[in-house]
Amino acid sequence: MTSDVADQRIVESLALRLRRRQVVGSRAAALETLLVIRQVVAKARFSNFEQLVDIIRSVGRRLVEAQPKEHSVGNTVRKVLHHIREEYQTATKGTTRSRPESFSIAKFVLQGQPRKHIIVTKAEKKGTLKEDDPNDPDSFARGLKPVLMEAIQDIFDELETVYDNVSKNAKDHVHSDEIILTLGASRTVETFLKTAAHYRKYTVIVAETAPTYGGRDLAASLSSAGISTFLVPDSSIFALMSRVNKVILGAHAILANGGMFATSGAQIAATAARAHSTPVVVCAGQFKVTPLWNLYHEYGALDFCDPSKVLGFEEGDLVDKVDVVNPFYDYVCPELVDAYITNDGDHPPSSIYRLLKETYDDEDTVL
Amino acid sequence: MAPKSSSHGKDKLIGAEDDVLQAVVLADSFNKRFKPLTTRKPRCLLPVCNAPLLDWTFESLALAGVREIFVMCRSHAEQVKAAIAESRWGKPGSGLKIIPIMTAKETYSPGDAMRDVYTRGLVTSDFVLVMGDLVSNIRIDEVVRVHKERRKSNKDAIMTMVVKESGVKHRTRSKGDTSVFVLDTETSECLHYEPVTGYPPTKKAHIPREIFVDHAEVEIRNDLIDCSIDICSVEVPSLFQDNFDYLDLRRDFVHGVLTSDLLMKNIYCYIAKEGYAARVKDTRSYDSVSKDILSRWAFPLVPDDNHPGGHLYEHTRGNKYIAKGSTVTLARTSTVGNNTLMGCRTQILEDVQIKSSVIGRDCIIGAGSIIADSYIFDGTSIGPECVVEQSIIGEGVIIKHNSRIVRGCLLGDEVIVGPGAVLQPFERLSKKRDPEEVDENEEEEDSDLEEIEASQSSISAQLGKDSNAIVWPRNASDDEVEDDVENHTNQRFMRLGDEPSDLEDDSSTSSDGEGGSSSDEDEDFKMSLEPSLALDMSAINLPSSDSIAESEFRAEVTQSLERAFSEGHSIDNAAVELKTLRMASNVPLSRVREAVIAAIVERIRIVDGGGAAQRTEISNVIQRWGGLIDRIGGVDAVETISILQTHCSTSERMPLFGQILAALYQADIVEEEDLGKWHSSPSAGGVGLPPGTQTDNIRKCWNIGALLIQQIGQQDSGEDSEEVDEDEDGEN
Repeated sequence: MTSDVADQRIVESLALRLRRRQVVGSRAAALETLLVIRQVVAKARFSNFEQLVDIIRSVGRRLVEAQPKEHSVGNTVRKVLHHIREEYQTATKGTTRSRPESFSIAKFVLQGQPRKHIIVTKAEKKGTLKEDDPNDPDSFARGLKPVLMEAIQDIFDELETVYDNVSKNAKDHVHSDEIILTLGASRTVETFLKTAAHYRKYTVIVAETAPTYGGRDLAASLSSAGISTFLVPDSSIFALMSRVNKVILGAHAILANGGMFATSGAQIAATAARAHSTPVVVCAGQFKVTPLWNLYHEYGALDFCDPSKVLGFEEGDLVDKVDVVNPFYDYVCPELVDAYITNDGDHPPSSIYRLLKETYDDEDTVL
Repeated sequence: MAPKSSSHGKDKLIGAEDDVLQAVVLADSFNKRFKPLTTRKPRCLLPVCNAPLLDWTFESLALAGVREIFVMCRSHAEQVKAAIAESRWGKPGSGLKIIPIMTAKETYSPGDAMRDVYTRGLVTSDFVLVMGDLVSNIRIDEVVRVHKERRKSNKDAIMTMVVKESGVKHRTRSKGDTSVFVLDTETSECLHYEPVTGYPPTKKAHIPREIFVDHAEVEIRNDLIDCSIDICSVEVPSLFQDNFDYLDLRRDFVHGVLTSDLLMKNIYCYIAKEGYAARVKDTRSYDSVSKDILSRWAFPLVPDDNHPGGHLYEHTRGNKYIAKGSTVTLARTSTVGNNTLMGCRTQILEDVQIKSSVIGRDCIIGAGSIIADSYIFDGTSIGPECVVEQSIIGEGVIIKHNSRIVRGCLLGDEVIVGPGAVLQPFERLSKKRDPEEVDENEEEEDSDLEEIEASQSSISAQLGKDSNAIVWPRNASDDEVEDDVENHTNQRFMRLGDEPSDLEDDSSTSSDGEGGSSSDEDEDFKMSLEPSLALDMSAINLPSSDSIAESEFRAEVTQSLERAFSEGHSIDNAAVELKTLRMASNVPLSRVREAVIAAIVERIRIVDGGGAAQRTEISNVIQRWGGLIDRIGGVDAVETISILQTHCSTSERMPLFGQILAALYQADIVEEEDLGKWHSSPSAGGVGLPPGTQTDNIRKCWNIGALLIQQIGQQDSGEDSEEVDEDEDGEN
């Protein structure tokens, strides 16, 4: 069982790095998670499909527990589970997919779990794949693993190309001579705007996004790419909003109700945009879509960092007397968002639930 | 460990590319500030925000990329060892190798622990030295990198201290035990260190003036939190070994290294601008560090994210942390204020008010109780209608109904008080021991307990009828030697809930006495500032001193100087040799000066016929060796003249006094000002001496001096003083 110990070590080390915030950013976390799962699957010993699912789930649970705030970890695990189930179906069942091709309100309830009854009728299998073979317990794993690896590689490729795929329709969203407002340092938004600049000439206003000041980096990067860019303080977002044609934001996670977690400041920008009826568009990879809701916090959300950027530690006298909160993310409710642009197409917040059902299996919502 | 890595070439190669950062954790506090909480377990296992302090330290080190940790434990070492083995650090994949080291019971200070580190040969390269009560998120690996970089160019940079900028009045900065750092602005080399105590209030810092001479720009800072994170080179433990009197890391070691004329080692500071680091040194800093953690200053080391105990907490608005998994029972009518942490399975009943407090696991807070600014460890139950404020309540304590525990009380584990107990502020309680337990425990703490038990009288009345507690005496004026920091009044600055404003008020009256009694370390500086008049007297009496050590010293110095003269050593080498001698026989600086001057004067040959030949001889000797007078450690020209005078008055070279003085003046060893000072002092004029030839000679010298001063005064500037000598010759 040396492989188990080794697996443990990989998982533990990632869990520790996630805990200690040595892996930050949704995409980095997703990639790391995927690498760990790939290694675990490559070494895993299982003689039937349930065992495999259990192994992956336990790894997923460990990682999510280590860092519940990095939603992309859980999402990646869910996605892997979804894909390997699909591969398993095709490997064992061939093409007998009872999935209704046409959507109708009558079948609405069944939409999410189309495969429930397939699993029930898995009696007839292909000869090559035999579960729980008493003579050769590894035969099932041997037969399935190449397919599994391929499935994981697909997810890997998707993550690798996520920025480009999100940006492929950029020119349809950004028009010539428009003024775009954005904030924070989102790689997705950055790529999106740069791609759009290939086709259109437009202006970007970047808010500084205190206290992280990610906006400064973004502005520098956009400006060096030849886009006409203004860097403004956060306080002027509302004043400038009347001139802005579109607000483009990045997201940390897209929630099941169509709301999202985004860099703090996003809430201000979205609210100001609503007051001026300016459309708010969010660019995000599909791996950020999360089957969870916002709990506990109304505005500032999810993660609170140390207050030193708001009130310096050297202000000794004040530290004792003032409670300072420095939220890293804002919760932006679905009413304030007009569209999500993902590598899986464009969606209004109201149809995120649909995307969730297609991407993940219901039984994996709680890992 | 060292021979292994050198014998296996392969190991060495691997080590080279993957430098394992080592850390030494001193897991003992070497003081008793947390008694009675620490009677049954070591301080480093006290829970801070429901995780043992030591785990916070390990997590801080792990965050900083440390891979191997040696834990030096002394009191309750078995418990520490067991705790490490049980914790998640003992499991594979933790990425940390933790090795507990049991030191001898006789380890009474950090210095002893460092000597143990040396004798065991634990560390093989630069290492991180921290105390076992650290909470930090500073990137120590960055500091280590800077330290190693500096070591490449300067082999004498043996240590880098990490300090954190804070205001003067920061809650985490203990008023009772702070320090003044004098830093070079450019290199951030620590030039001088001086500890500051709250009581007696330190009003003055004494800074050697050489610092201002040698460094263009210095910073004198009293707003730094000393985090006790030191990046040490391997020499540091060996320095402790060499200097067996070093006890404290700061007051003895840093101060010793910086003031030593012999070691020639440098210590640097790293001022952490970002990040958080603080030590739980005392109950007051226990409070402030807990609050800092709850208000997320130590992020990402916060309860809901990277809790070292591995607990899971939900962070809700207003920095309230409630254990995940809905095991906490919160009554509908209870109110939970900001900055509060609640461990799992804790029950908060009706109408309870909690604010700024940490409550452990499995606690029960009875209806209508008020808990404010308090720390309640695991498994404690508090009855209805109690008030607990600014106190620390140990594990498994039972507080029965209607009790009042306010302001700075410490309740040891398993104490029972109440019902209706009313504790005085700052009361410390611990549990009476069972008779059979007494034999088993052979801990030294027992002696303390016995004393206290003996002193128990009728005071238990206010503890309630069911109480099993004993009250600790208020003034812990123990038999042990109380150094500056540990005195009782100063402890008040470190006590939870205490506001020693009364001490700050009366400080103005006592400050005068303080200046004088400050310490002997500033001797150098003071001596150089005020010409000490009594010195001449002692100098005169010296030759008759029959102390063996002293005569030996004189002989040694004479020999050493003779050697230097005959073999033509450089002044630097001769000076080092003299310094070593002075250290070895522990004599004041003035003796050395005396010996040097005597030897130089005797060195001068008496040329028959005097005149120009004699003058050349004198100036040759003074040119060659005069510099030595100022190199023995400290410059004091007035004393030099006095000693010269005294020496000449008893020597056959008496007639040369004027010429020697003039030569010294020309060699810039004495200035006109010094001459004036010397001349105006009564002892120089031989006042109060018994009549005799010596006194006569002293008077003569004094007169010669007066003439010289006059001469110098007459030549306005820059003219050579040939004439002076001429005149003096005539006089003689």
